[in-house]
Amino acid sequence: MERRRGRGLARHSTRASYSLMNARQLLELLAIATLLTACGGTHGESSDRIVVFNAGSLSIPIRAALDSFAAREHVTFAQENAGSLETARKLTELGQIPDVIALADYEVFPHYLMPEQVEWYLDFARNRMVLAYTPKSRFADEISTANWWQIVQREGVQVGRSDPNLDPNGYRTLLTMQLAEKHYGVAGLYDSLLAHAPSRNVRPKEVDLVGLVQAGEMDYIWSYESLATAAGLKFVELPTAIDLSSPADSASYATVSVRVRGKTPTDSVTFRGQPIVYALSIPKGAPHPDVAARFVAYMVKGNGARIMRATGLDMLDPPIVVGSGVPAVVATAAGGGPAGPNGAPR
Amino acid sequence: MSGAIAVAPPVRSHSAHRLASVLAALAASIFLLFLFAPILRLIISGGAGGVGRIFSDSELRGSLALTAATATTATMIGVVGGTPIAYLLARRDFRGRAVVAALIDLPLLIPHPVAGIALLLVLGRESAVGSALLQAGFRIAGSPAGIVCAMLFVSAPLYVSAAREAFARVDPRYEAVGRTLGDPAWRVFRRVTLPLSLRGLIAAGVVMWARAVSEFGAIVILTYNPKVVSVLSYDRFTSFGLREALPVAAALTILALIPLTALRALRPNGGAGAAL
Repeated sequence: MERRRGRGLARHSTRASYSLMNARQLLELLAIATLLTACGGTHGESSDRIVVFNAGSLSIPIRAALDSFAAREHVTFAQENAGSLETARKLTELGQIPDVIALADYEVFPHYLMPEQVEWYLDFARNRMVLAYTPKSRFADEISTANWWQIVQREGVQVGRSDPNLDPNGYRTLLTMQLAEKHYGVAGLYDSLLAHAPSRNVRPKEVDLVGLVQAGEMDYIWSYESLATAAGLKFVELPTAIDLSSPADSASYATVSVRVRGKTPTDSVTFRGQPIVYALSIPKGAPHPDVAARFVAYMVKGNGARIMRATGLDMLDPPIVVGSGVPAVVATAAGGGPAGPNGAPR
Repeated sequence: MSGAIAVAPPVRSHSAHRLASVLAALAASIFLLFLFAPILRLIISGGAGGVGRIFSDSELRGSLALTAATATTATMIGVVGGTPIAYLLARRDFRGRAVVAALIDLPLLIPHPVAGIALLLVLGRESAVGSALLQAGFRIAGSPAGIVCAMLFVSAPLYVSAAREAFARVDPRYEAVGRTLGDPAWRVFRRVTLPLSLRGLIAAGVVMWARAVSEFGAIVILTYNPKVVSVLSYDRFTSFGLREALPVAAALTILALIPLTALRALRPNGGAGAAL
């Protein structure tokens, strides 16, 4: 079989002298040749392209930074948006190594990716939970920071949330609902809020909900401030005591917790409330570590940080490095921010 | 083939044909390998676990049942609604036939998440149809009905075009004979056209059903919960990784083989004839 294949291809190379080649054979050979060229072509092209895996809620800010960085450095890029846990799986399970990985929850790094895939991570942005909506949403003209929890319990109001088992925004929604019960002092509020965002209104990740609220299928969706801003949605600002935005409130956030699925179907993991912090890293074996390091430096300092801030992301200044082996250019840009205990950026 | 031998010198022609057969065999083997290697690998990696899960994992069982029920419902709707269109397209020369034929293929072109959003705009609760249905207590998004709609949209075009081909293969002279014997059009269809095209129609239904079972992109927009198997395998992969996702995918593949093989083995024409 191998020998025959070799002969066939050899004939192809001396095709001009082979007068009896008919149209069908020619087509077959062309198809094989095209396939081979296509494989070679893609391979060559990807050598100067930086690949970024990022959490869905970071897609717009990172895209903006990538666009300007790519123009400045004359590089091309490919961006893959997915849920934070799904993104981590791409490295751990599928062996796909990007140049930069940026996630919506810094805890995914120590839980899933260290020390095999990454040695360090950089906390670079904060976010807050909001209730996003459009002017067409039911009771859009009435809802406010004070009454949102009553509005979402009204008859006919559809509230969407993301899957707590797949998406940090999903379990953060549950944490915020629990904090709301404490904050407003209404017994049973958590159960009621949950019942008003039933499982049929759940989608895998918070970005999937944006289209649904825009299409009017949902009136309100649990989301991040950055995502609501980037998508042009209106949003209800929630009290700091419940929106998981404030490091100063860490202790009170930590009084609530949710259990979600763990690493196996029989396992479960408890997440306690804590401020929302985004983190990024350059994984071991990244194809273009130098460009990646320059891009990370660009994102956290100067122009890149300004561009990301303009899309609604609350950039940390300075960012905080956790772990060792940080590239010098990144460490310099980060300004040597101190690492908190146990890698927690407090 | 005999024409070519008559024209070209016999020896060179013979070697040319041999080369063509070798190349064709080579292309076919690579192609088959390309199609089957991933499935075989899937079944080897997850098959045993998958079969075990069918008994031990009630979420997977529920999901398989939901997938079978929704894909079958979608296929039945596709057959009832698509067969007359396929027949008209194959047999009647009417104004705008080309336009209808092209429109039928259109859903195949649309990326599936976009298809999901488009369906939502037409059937969602803000739409005329969706709000009327909701008034009647019938919810599309977030329910099995949404799954059926998504499956129907992406897979019905495959049924219509295959069914149209099946009707086109029936010699119109048999139908003409039926009519000259005084049978009304409906009875000619039932007694002549349908039996002669039945194998093709079943094959068309099988293709539609299989495509419906595999749909993910449009479904996840409309209905994430309850989860069909494609959504469940995505969910398991994201939550637990390959080790848990493979058995789910393998269970689906193995179970789907049963109805596919059974239907392919059906020979309503009594054996040989056009490939099913």
